[in-house]
Amino acid sequence: MKKMLSVLLAAIMMISLLAVPALAEDAKVLTVVTWDATTTPYLVAQKEAFEASHPGVTIEYVDVASQDYAVKTTTMLEGGDTSDVFMIKEIDNLINWQAQGFAAPLKDFDKDYDYSGFKGTEVNYAVDGVQYAIPFRSDFWVLFYNKDLFDAAGAEYPTNDMTWDAYAELAKKLTDKEKDVYGTHYHTWLSAVVNWAVCDGVNTLADKNYDDLLYFYKLYQDLEDAGACMSYADLKASGLHYSAAFANGNIAMLPMGYWYVSTLIGYNKDGTCNFNWGIVAVPHADGVAAGSSFGNLTGAMINEKSEQKELAWEYISWLGGEEGAAATASVGARPAWVSENVASVMSSVEGFPADENSKAALLPSAVAMEWPVAEKVSDIKTIVNEEHSMIMAREVTPEEGIEEMNERVAELFE
Amino acid sequence: MSQAEARKVRYKMGKLERKNTLIAYSFLAPNFIGFAVFTLVPVICAIALSLFEWNGGDISKLKFVGLDNYATIFATKKVAEKGLGYFFNRADLGIALKNTVFYTIVTVPLTIACALILALLLNKIRGAVFFRTVFFFPYVSSMVAICVCWSFMLMKDGPVNQMIMALGINFNKGWTADSTMAIWSIILVSVWRNMGYYMVLYLAALQGIPRELTEAATVDGANKWQQFLHVTLPQLKPTTFFVSVMMVISCFKIYDVVAIMTDGGPGRSTKMLVTYIYDEAFVKVRYGQASAISMVLLVIVLLVTIIQFGSEKKFSND
Repeated sequence: MKKMLSVLLAAIMMISLLAVPALAEDAKVLTVVTWDATTTPYLVAQKEAFEASHPGVTIEYVDVASQDYAVKTTTMLEGGDTSDVFMIKEIDNLINWQAQGFAAPLKDFDKDYDYSGFKGTEVNYAVDGVQYAIPFRSDFWVLFYNKDLFDAAGAEYPTNDMTWDAYAELAKKLTDKEKDVYGTHYHTWLSAVVNWAVCDGVNTLADKNYDDLLYFYKLYQDLEDAGACMSYADLKASGLHYSAAFANGNIAMLPMGYWYVSTLIGYNKDGTCNFNWGIVAVPHADGVAAGSSFGNLTGAMINEKSEQKELAWEYISWLGGEEGAAATASVGARPAWVSENVASVMSSVEGFPADENSKAALLPSAVAMEWPVAEKVSDIKTIVNEEHSMIMAREVTPEEGIEEMNERVAELFE
Repeated sequence: MSQAEARKVRYKMGKLERKNTLIAYSFLAPNFIGFAVFTLVPVICAIALSLFEWNGGDISKLKFVGLDNYATIFATKKVAEKGLGYFFNRADLGIALKNTVFYTIVTVPLTIACALILALLLNKIRGAVFFRTVFFFPYVSSMVAICVCWSFMLMKDGPVNQMIMALGINFNKGWTADSTMAIWSIILVSVWRNMGYYMVLYLAALQGIPRELTEAATVDGANKWQQFLHVTLPQLKPTTFFVSVMMVISCFKIYDVVAIMTDGGPGRSTKMLVTYIYDEAFVKVRYGQASAISMVLLVIVLLVTIIQFGSEKKFSND
């Protein structure tokens, strides 16, 4: 009897082992490696929309901390990770992955795919004419402002056509040290302080000449001296994130990427902040067209080691295209696919500022790439960022720092 | 005893010996296998990799480049052209080396001194257990939490600067944002965190000093200071040796405090050897070059350790 029982138990266990993969076969699971999966609204919207239109497929996000994304994902890929899709945070990540053989070429799938809505931005994900990823978000920088603070100060709102000098003046005007109000806020990144130099579409950060950054460093230091923004040193030490800083309600303006729109809408909904805000185009330098900005692409690629490349293609092609774009835009994020339909979805999102200027800011006149795809760009990034931190911490003057950038980058190519 | 008998006896002993040896090996095996898999093999791979150019991915993309990686990190071309000053003032490796050595030279004696003073103070006082726990606590706390707290304390208007200002010294710069102070903030946090651990080692050593020695010294009329200098300190030599070896090695491997507090900045003022290795390997994905830098680190640590062990006799208890 005992023997029978044990044989029976063993048999049940064996059957249950067999049953699990059999069950899994029915429901397909697509694993997608991304960052901040729990706090990024568009990822939730995309997952819901895709699963609704593709019954039987489940999207499973693998969440990686955003600041470590490049390092961790590269390590995963090195280790032979078989997750199906990897999202791409920086263009040079994809260029590296392609060189390392981790990115599956899309030439077997994309023969009939319509790239027109990407307006040419997709070439940033192509190597030697072969496409390796599909862009699904294209963020450019805009100027956020706190309407309540402008109203309280009796000042005119910023406009879509404003020079950097006018902006600086406005920032000083809005500053009220007694009430602890800052006219503007600069996050510690290079991009937040001086990347504006590339908005003219001529300069890039890899062109080996950094003299064009001088104007923006001087502008920043002038504002910092006037107490119109928090000091770099304190921001660095406290690690204060721009999202929390602006949400605090004592910052009048914030130049930041468009992605912050969806965060702010979310903050308004959950009560983290409850002031009125709007967006306008970033200020422009003299001689540069109003509404010029710079930005970055976010995309998705198929892992070469994925065992369901067909399904992965189905997903990334959907994600970048019209339907995926609508899902992305539905929570206030800006998709890479641009069409009138998508633009109207973007401005009709609940919580998006209703004024005409904010709507107009959705259509920048030109968007340059934050960092171009260029030779030795990761070395250049390191050098420029190191000198940036020296200038920002006032260890060297902007002139000295820029001189160092010029010299050190030139040495790379000797 | 005939030859055959003798062989039999030897065989018997051999069996026992073999059994014992096997048991010994089986005890050693888990540790050794772990060491071999996770340390020995990677070290050998890194030595080999330092001679190749490899940006990850398929192993077939390994390209043998001989000593090119070393030439690059030592900036040999530039050094030949502009002299050694170029290496220490401009090249990444030179700067990282300079920072790491400075950090080690300051941190090791400072930590040892603090640990020893704490141990002496806490050896016999009332409530020693409580204070020992207090000073040991940082060592078991999370490094990230410690570094974040210290970053706040060392801010421009932070409590540390306010204390300094209260002393009448005009100092209002954020420590981690200042290129001369940044490395001192790293040193400060390292010393503060590690002194508790080394204090425990010293406490154990202090308990081990035979009471007769101090009693004899007292009888001979030695005062407290003389007792410390001629009895206690010499008795602590082996501990000091052990502590200094461990500390030098760990100082050369400094990474976490830097990564959390300054990320090598401002500029390159706190760039250390390991942060440089990390940057090359995982940010720029140049494993060959990163391995070459690790070899430099390995050689330095090895040399320092050999020198220290060479002078071990001086440190041993006679």
